[in-house]
Amino acid sequence: MNWNDPITRRQSLKRLARIWAGLTGVAAVGGYPFLPPARAKAEAGDGKLIVEGVAANKDYETRELIAKVFEAAGGMGRFVSKGDVVAIKPNVSWARSPELAATTNPEVLEAVIELCLDAGAKKIRIADHTIHDARRCFALTGVGQVAKKTGADLVFPRPSLMKEMRLHGQRLDVWPVFVPLVEADKVLNVPVAKDHGLSTLTLGMKNWIGAVGGRRSALHQDIHQTIVDLAQFFKPTLTLIDATRIMTKNGPSGGSPADVAVKNTVILSNDQVAADAKACGLFGYGPEEIGFVRLGQKWGLGTYDPQRVTQKKVVL
Amino acid sequence: MKARHLVWIRRISQTLFLGLFLVLLVESRLPEDVYLEYSLYFSGDADIRLDQPVTFFFDLDPLVWLTSLLSGHGLVHGFGWALGVLVLTLLLGRAFCGFICPFGTIHHAVSWFRPPLKGRAMVQANQKTPAQRIKYLLLIAILVSAVMGLNLAGLLDPISFLFRSLALAVVPALGVGIKGIFDVMAASDIKLLNYLSYGGEVLVSPVFGYGYPAYKTAWFIGLVFLTIVFLNRIRPRFWCRVLCPLGALLGICSRFSILRLEKDHEKCTNCKLCSKTCLGAASPAPGQDWENAECVLCFNCFHACPEGALSFRFRWSPKMNRRPDMGRRAVLTGLAAGVSLPLLTGLDSQAHHVSDPRLIRPPGALPEKDFLRLCQRCGLCMKVCPTNAINPTLGEAGWAGFWTPHLIMTQGYCEYTCTLCGSVCPTGAIAEISAREKIDRPIRIGAAYVDRGRCLPWSGNGPCIVCQEVCPTSPKAVYLNKEAVPAKDKATWLVDVPRVDLKRCVGCGICETKCPVRGKPAISVIAAGESRSIENQILLPDLAP
Repeated sequence: MNWNDPITRRQSLKRLARIWAGLTGVAAVGGYPFLPPARAKAEAGDGKLIVEGVAANKDYETRELIAKVFEAAGGMGRFVSKGDVVAIKPNVSWARSPELAATTNPEVLEAVIELCLDAGAKKIRIADHTIHDARRCFALTGVGQVAKKTGADLVFPRPSLMKEMRLHGQRLDVWPVFVPLVEADKVLNVPVAKDHGLSTLTLGMKNWIGAVGGRRSALHQDIHQTIVDLAQFFKPTLTLIDATRIMTKNGPSGGSPADVAVKNTVILSNDQVAADAKACGLFGYGPEEIGFVRLGQKWGLGTYDPQRVTQKKVVL
Repeated sequence: MKARHLVWIRRISQTLFLGLFLVLLVESRLPEDVYLEYSLYFSGDADIRLDQPVTFFFDLDPLVWLTSLLSGHGLVHGFGWALGVLVLTLLLGRAFCGFICPFGTIHHAVSWFRPPLKGRAMVQANQKTPAQRIKYLLLIAILVSAVMGLNLAGLLDPISFLFRSLALAVVPALGVGIKGIFDVMAASDIKLLNYLSYGGEVLVSPVFGYGYPAYKTAWFIGLVFLTIVFLNRIRPRFWCRVLCPLGALLGICSRFSILRLEKDHEKCTNCKLCSKTCLGAASPAPGQDWENAECVLCFNCFHACPEGALSFRFRWSPKMNRRPDMGRRAVLTGLAAGVSLPLLTGLDSQAHHVSDPRLIRPPGALPEKDFLRLCQRCGLCMKVCPTNAINPTLGEAGWAGFWTPHLIMTQGYCEYTCTLCGSVCPTGAIAEISAREKIDRPIRIGAAYVDRGRCLPWSGNGPCIVCQEVCPTSPKAVYLNKEAVPAKDKATWLVDVPRVDLKRCVGCGICETKCPVRGKPAISVIAAGESRSIENQILLPDLAP
C-alpha cells in the first residue's frame, strides 16, 4: 500500500472499516478481559473459622481486643501477605459521630489497619460509597482522621470510580461497582452491626450495598437477594463485624445515644454468612430469621452451621 | 511618584485582589480534608466551618452594608471594612474601583486586551455622556427601595453579581464540560485512561466542586454575565461607567477627596491621549472640568500624557470637588422607581401570606420579610451547600425574591447536622446556627408528605422503605406500619407502608432525594410547617414538654 498517494474519501472509509474489523477480530479472539482477574478464593471449606472477641473489662483498649482476636485467628499474616494492596470497606454511610453507632468505630478501623501494615501490606485503601455527603461522613465518623493517622488512602466515591460490571447474581446482572473495592489483592469488610427497617439488621453482607453505585434505592425492592448477590460478587477475604456499640433501634441512621447498646464485641470470620449469623445473636435473632443470612446459606456463600466452622472465643 | 509606578501599583493591586476573590470563591466549599479529631468529637455534633474569611469582599462592600442597614435595620458583621472603604473614598476618590473591585478588574482587563475603538473614535467614545447618569438612577432606586423595605442591591452590586455569576454559572459550566471528558475516559476499557480520569477528577474537584454542582436558572445568570462583559466592546469599562450602583455611591462620596487631578494648560498640546485612555470618561483633558465622581483612578491619563501636563496631587482645600453629574431627570426617575418597585412587589404580597409550597428556605433563614430585606442573592449559600440542594429561585419567592436561595429536594437535601449555609451568609439573612440547635429546637424547613399513588408499597407495587431508612431524626419521622394494601392478583398484601409524623419531621428532604421514584418522588417536602414562619404552621403548638 502506498501511503503517499492521495486517496478518495470512499477509499479512506473502506480502509478504516477494514482496520476496525481487524481490530475487533483480534479482540474477539483474544477474549477481551471484561471481568477483573478473579481473586484467590477465601479459604474454602475446612479452613473456615470464626472468632468472637468480647471485652469483659469496660476500660479495655480496642487495639488490644482486635489484636487478640486476630491472634486467635492465626494472625493477620495468614490473610494479608507482604506487598498486598488491601481495600477496607467500613460502614460510614451517615455523617454521625462515632458514639451514635451508625458507623464503624474508628478505633476498630485504626487497629485493623495497623495490623495490615504490620503484616506487610503495601497499601491500604479505605473506600465507602456513603449515603450522606462523603466529605461530611469522612469528617464526622472519624474515618478521615484514621486515614490521616495511619497513612491509608481515603477513596472518595467519585463518578469515575463507578464502573459497570457483571455481577452474575440471581437478581442483579450488570450494575455499577465502586472499583477500588474490586481492584485489590485483599478485601476486608469492617461493618458496624445495627438495626435496619427493611432487612431487620445490617451486618457484613448488607455492607456491600455501600460498594456499588447507580440507583441504589431501587435495591430495596428485593433487598435480601440483592444483598446476597453483592456479597457473592465481592467475596471479602475477611469480615470483621464491629459490635463494640450496636444500634438497636431507629436504624440504620439512628441519631440518639438512646438507640445504642454497648456490647464491646467484635466478630471476625472468613465466612461472611457465619459472621453475620453470629452477630444476629447480639440482637436476639436467630440466623434463619434474617432473610439475607438464610439466603446466603442457601446459595452457598457460607454457612451458619456451627459444626462446619471452627469456633473460637477471646475474652479480654 | 512617577505615573509609570502608579500604573504598575494599580495593576499589581488589581491582580492581587482579583486573585484573592477567586481564591475565596474556590474556598467557599466544604473541603475534602476536614478530618476532625474523633476523640474530641466523640460526643455531640461537631460544626464544620470554613477556615477562610469567604465573606471578605462582601464585608468590604459599602453598598451591602448600607442597604442592609436601611432595609434590615441591622449592622452586618464585618461592616468595619465597608466603613474603611468609605473613608478611603473620602480621601482618595474611587480607589476601590480602580485598585480593588474584582469585577472592575475583569472589565478593565477585557477593555485593555481588546480596546473597542481606535484613535479619534476612542477619544470621542470617552467623552462623558448622559448615559453615565443611569448608575445614579439605579443607586437612588436601590437606596429608596431599601428604605421602603425592598432590598434589590444584590441584583446589581458588583461583588454579589460577580460571585453569583462565577460561582453558579461560569465555574459549574466549565466543571460540567470537564466532567464530560472524564466520563468518557472513565468508561473506557483502557486502564491508563481510567487512572487519568480519576487523577484529573481529584485534581479539579476542589475548584469545580465535589460532585459537579449545577444550579437552576444558571444559564440565565451566565447569559447576563456574558452580556455585561460583552458591553466592554461598546465602551471600555461600560459597567463601571454606566451601570454600577456601588461606583455611583463611591462617586458621590469622592466629592471630598483630597487626591485631585491637576491640569497644566500651558504644557498641553491638545493631543487627547489622556481622553483616549480614560476608562471612566471623566474628562481628564485640560480645558474640560475633571469629573472626579466618574474617575476610577486608573491613572491612565497621568501615564499617557507625554508633556507632563497632568498630575495627581494631594491638595487640601476647603472647596469641595465638582458635584457628581446626576441629572435631575435621573434623580427623579430613581426616586420614582425606588418608591414604585416596593409597591409593585406588594402585589405579590400573597407570597408572604400563602407561601409557595416549593419555597423552602435554608435552615436558619429569617422570617420571609426579614429574609428578603437582607438577602443579597450572592449565591454564597448555594456555593457552599454540600449536596447542591440550595438553588436560586425563579418565581417561587415572588418578584422581590428573584434569585434568592431555596432548596430543591429532587436535586439535593439538607443534611441533618450541616449548618454551613448560615455560617457564610454575609448579611445574616440566614442566621448562623449550630448543629445542636438545629436538632434540638428543631429548626424545620418544611414537612414531608407521602403521595400514595406513586409510593411503591402504598400502590401495591413492591416493598420499599428507603424514605424511612434515610430519615435522620431519632425517633424517625417517617415510620412504617404493616398494613394490608390492595394488590394486583391478590385480595390484599401485607407490607410496610410509610407515614410521616409531622411532630418529628424537619423537612430535610433526604426522603425526597433518595426516593426511587425520580423526578416527582412519592414522598416530597413542602414549605408548610417551617419553623421561621408563624402563619405557615400545620399543627397547633405543642405545649407539653
